[in-house]
Amino acid sequence: MKHISSNPLALIGFIIIASILLLALSAPLIAPYDPNAIDVKAILLAPSATNLMGTDGLGRDVFSRMLYGARISLMVGFVAVGIATAIGIVLGAIAGFYRGWVDTVIMRLVDVMLSIPTFFLILAVIAFLTPSIWNIMIVIGLTSWMGVTRLVRAEFLSLRNREFVLAAQTLGAKDARLIFMHLLPNSLTPIIVSTILGIASAVLVESSLSFLGLGVQAPQASWGNILTDGKEYIQFAWWLSLFPGLAILLTVLGYNLLGDGLRDAYNPRSSQH
Amino acid sequence: MNYRCNQTALYKRTALILCVVLTASCSDTSVPQANNQPNYSQNYPTSEGGTLIDAMTGEPSGLIAMIAGESAASAIAGNIFNSLLKYDRNLELTGELAKSWDISADKRTISFHLKPDLKWADGHALTSADVLFTWQKVTDEKTRTPYGSDFKLVTKAETPDAQTFRVSYEQPYAPALDTWAGLHILPKHLLQDQDINTTAFARKPVGSHYYQLDNWKNGQYLKLTRNPNATQGQAKITHLMSRIIPDKAAQFLELSADNIDSMGLNPIQYARIFPAKPELNKNIALYKELGNSYTYLGFNLKRKPFDDIRVRQAINYAINKQEIIDGVLLGLGEPVASPYKPGTRWSNPLLKPYPYDPNKAKALLKAAGYADHDGDGILDKDGKPFRFEILTNQNKEREMTGVLIQRRLKEIGIDANIRVLEWASFLGRFIKPKEFDVVVLGWSLSLDPDQYSIWHSSQQGPGQFNFISYNNPRADELLEAGRLELDADKRMKIYHEFSKILLEDSPIVYLSAGYGLSAIHKRVRGISNPAPPAGIGHNTYEWYIPKAYARSEMSEH
Amino acid sequence: MLKYLIKRFLWMIPILVGISLISFFIMHLAPGDITSSEASFNPKASEESRQKLRELYSLDKPVIVQYSLWLKRLATLDFGTSFASHQRPVFWQTTDKDGNVTLGMIQEALPITLLINLLSLILIIAVALPLGVVSALKQNQLTDRAITLFVFIGFAIPGFWLALMLMYWTGVQHTWLPISGLQSISHDHLPWLGQVLDTLKHLVLPVFISGITGLAGIALFVRNGMLEVLHQDYITTARSKGLNENRVIYGHALRNALLPLITIFGLSIPGLIGGSVIAESIFAIPGMGKLFYDAVLMRDFPVIMGILTIGAILTLIGNLLADISYAWADPRVRRGVVQ
Repeated sequence: MKHISSNPLALIGFIIIASILLLALSAPLIAPYDPNAIDVKAILLAPSATNLMGTDGLGRDVFSRMLYGARISLMVGFVAVGIATAIGIVLGAIAGFYRGWVDTVIMRLVDVMLSIPTFFLILAVIAFLTPSIWNIMIVIGLTSWMGVTRLVRAEFLSLRNREFVLAAQTLGAKDARLIFMHLLPNSLTPIIVSTILGIASAVLVESSLSFLGLGVQAPQASWGNILTDGKEYIQFAWWLSLFPGLAILLTVLGYNLLGDGLRDAYNPRSSQH
Repeated sequence: MNYRCNQTALYKRTALILCVVLTASCSDTSVPQANNQPNYSQNYPTSEGGTLIDAMTGEPSGLIAMIAGESAASAIAGNIFNSLLKYDRNLELTGELAKSWDISADKRTISFHLKPDLKWADGHALTSADVLFTWQKVTDEKTRTPYGSDFKLVTKAETPDAQTFRVSYEQPYAPALDTWAGLHILPKHLLQDQDINTTAFARKPVGSHYYQLDNWKNGQYLKLTRNPNATQGQAKITHLMSRIIPDKAAQFLELSADNIDSMGLNPIQYARIFPAKPELNKNIALYKELGNSYTYLGFNLKRKPFDDIRVRQAINYAINKQEIIDGVLLGLGEPVASPYKPGTRWSNPLLKPYPYDPNKAKALLKAAGYADHDGDGILDKDGKPFRFEILTNQNKEREMTGVLIQRRLKEIGIDANIRVLEWASFLGRFIKPKEFDVVVLGWSLSLDPDQYSIWHSSQQGPGQFNFISYNNPRADELLEAGRLELDADKRMKIYHEFSKILLEDSPIVYLSAGYGLSAIHKRVRGISNPAPPAGIGHNTYEWYIPKAYARSEMSEH
Repeated sequence: MLKYLIKRFLWMIPILVGISLISFFIMHLAPGDITSSEASFNPKASEESRQKLRELYSLDKPVIVQYSLWLKRLATLDFGTSFASHQRPVFWQTTDKDGNVTLGMIQEALPITLLINLLSLILIIAVALPLGVVSALKQNQLTDRAITLFVFIGFAIPGFWLALMLMYWTGVQHTWLPISGLQSISHDHLPWLGQVLDTLKHLVLPVFISGITGLAGIALFVRNGMLEVLHQDYITTARSKGLNENRVIYGHALRNALLPLITIFGLSIPGLIGGSVIAESIFAIPGMGKLFYDAVLMRDFPVIMGILTIGAILTLIGNLLADISYAWADPRVRRGVVQ
């Protein structure tokens, strides 16, 4: 925490993320309207006292939709990254710990996955399956584990020859114990950094998928689909674009600032003057 | 410190380069813009010349309509090729390449008499041999066309002379003339030694209509220019250009910046945005016309409880159609009570849509055995709650419609949830194997009233169009009779009765028939407003752009 | 070195096979094929004709058979023709018996995408490099913070939102730039220089939008690389030797910090060919991204496979080149000190 507070940008990032998380969690409490409540007489109204962020093409309150959309967009980020990190940790640990042919096979698999343009892969898979929120989370997760794998593997490779590991091995510690009790805890920070940055990317990917019609589907609100719904009215209903756009911007910015700040703090050499 | 100086130098250089690039691009070599707005309210007499620019979201795969299939292809090919017949402004069949036609006494043979001295754009004569050739191609097993079935009903096609084309059917086939109004006649002399599926002709066509292809830049635009040998006379506007702009938001921006002349609008743009933006209204005029399509809620008649007519009618009463028209279409649509375009002879004027009557709906459901036994707000029967899934495809308006329906159904105790599906999934996983409860879809229909393939009980196979499994013997009889009856009035009576049966049976709930909405720049004159039954596009050859309003860069080449 | 090259080339083959297998099976995950487009739900179009089409394209055969058919054709470098666009070859142009040339789809789309990506790469380097250097030199001061904030905003802003706003501002409110498309309608009548400027004007926004996301990554990378290097002993040594500060920074630190950048570029080659689906869709640019997206929606398998395969090949070659140039540029590797 000391690291964060000494870096004003990371602090800003942290505040942004905390605020958005708070808003998302308290959505059911503070949302003034039901996000799916249609009112055909209130189509495309500008922001006012009754509708803080205006209404959309079906008369639904944008502010309420934004709050619930926060939950969806963030959930997509968390779950997708969770999947990616889980896969990455497992594969990276195995590759870094056992090395040899296991390592080669896993790294070649990483190469194969990296040779296909990621967005193309996500696009193709989601278009071929149905664009449900679970498919989106799983697919983003299944296409972003490569970075984590490399990270974990690199950490394990460098840590594995340290004295504490050798000591534990001499004492007869089994592989699993070594991995979970010694190596993994010491590799945690880069994993956390990568997770934080991954959430930001996942939120952006969801909004891109929404633009192509493959994101979270109606009537569920997500920032991506509110933004996409409003794109044809950008000259007129500016509120349909401004608020979700800003929300995505701030969220992704916040995660990046925090993640970058943590990475700076962790890297011993860059913090010297 | 030296490095600071070097950096400043670097930035200075970058800034200088940026300035140069920006000023170079600032020089306005494009169309006259908002700065010097001409007044578009002046009247000008008909004149020739100018370029009409419109936008398409998709690109044609080829310009041979029978092969290409997509709407972008038929739209452009329709400017290049002629058919034997066409529809006039009142949607009556009239001759295009044919000057007249007669039907034999046994009603099984049609003889088309072509106009004299018809030519292709390359000067070659257009004769009945070309028509015969086209028919042979569309019915050829090797031709990859989905539209051959109607033409395969012809048992004999002959050309007694160069101006006559005669076809015989096994039985009188009333929709025949409509099919001949939709078949683009192709030049035999250019295609006879080509494989029609892969020929380069599809990208460099030679037709006989008002326009010919001037230039096709893949992915960017297609440009058509007037055909000096046009069989129907000369169009007034010299060039047509269709720009390929996949994103509708970008299209709207281009329209606002006067880079395109026309585009299709959605109800919100038409009814909310345009009225609120005086700068748009100054230069752009809005048009609306009733299309030949309708949206509906379809039941899977093979699934309980949709096989119970009371349930279907109840849902019909529970849905507020006017609310859907007002909410989804912003009032820019009409309710329908038959599967035909309102105002045409096939639409039965005596039929009225089911009114919005939730009480009647509840009563019908009660009679069918539904009541809220467990007090959870949802009707149930035999211990099972009345819950089902409404499927629709990725279409904003259909999604909105689904949500409105869901709400109304909830009010009478039916729990419906909506699922939006990607089209190919929708067709392959749900429609084809009939794995659905209820769908919200639309039909886009031809001008002939025959709807055999949609409603006849023999058309329920996988991949066929009676996917809701409608089976009514009397409807079957009428559909068969309608195909054989050539007399327009008798035919009308048949389809009026057919529509009445459909309305009573309520295998689908008619939701709305939407208007086609367009925005066209005021520089384009000669547009019929209000739109006649055939729509504003029926006389595009008469549209003109006065010289005073033509784009400055489009000089006559 | 030669052994290394040969080993790498040999590895490419199973990787390519792996990629093509994955891609092929992903495509057949889904129901529907080219015959189930929206147009096919036209009551005038019969089911038999769709079935015939399916047979023609071997879509009714089991997936393994389809894959081996495709692989066999690929052995002769024949990527096939598109299902959707009936006669257009997927990769390279064909000439029919009358001498009509039909250009290949990838042949037309790839140069456009490459141009945009290269221009945006140049933009990124031109901007990110100095920004990263300044950031490193002014570590943790206001300038550093401001630059970090700026590049992160560039990364965080949803591309299509920024695109539409810029299109409105530069194209509708003012007429500085064209709104969409690759060329203006009078392009062919312009002199040579005019055509170049015309195309460049149309590419300003797409390149900017494509570039602004990559800016953050590269700027940070340069910054961190510089920082790591600047704190190394040999830099202190150089300074204490009395070397000119410029020479220290640009001659020593930057050069060494940039080495890993080469690997980054190698890794970003799939993106180079990939093309941004979003930017191309919004700006109506007929590049690889749009080609891929349309092919996916239409279930146009030959095109999808063609793009993924060619993309993979170019990526693998790019990675190989990146590794080789890294090995050459880093004297430690070149001299065999570090493996």
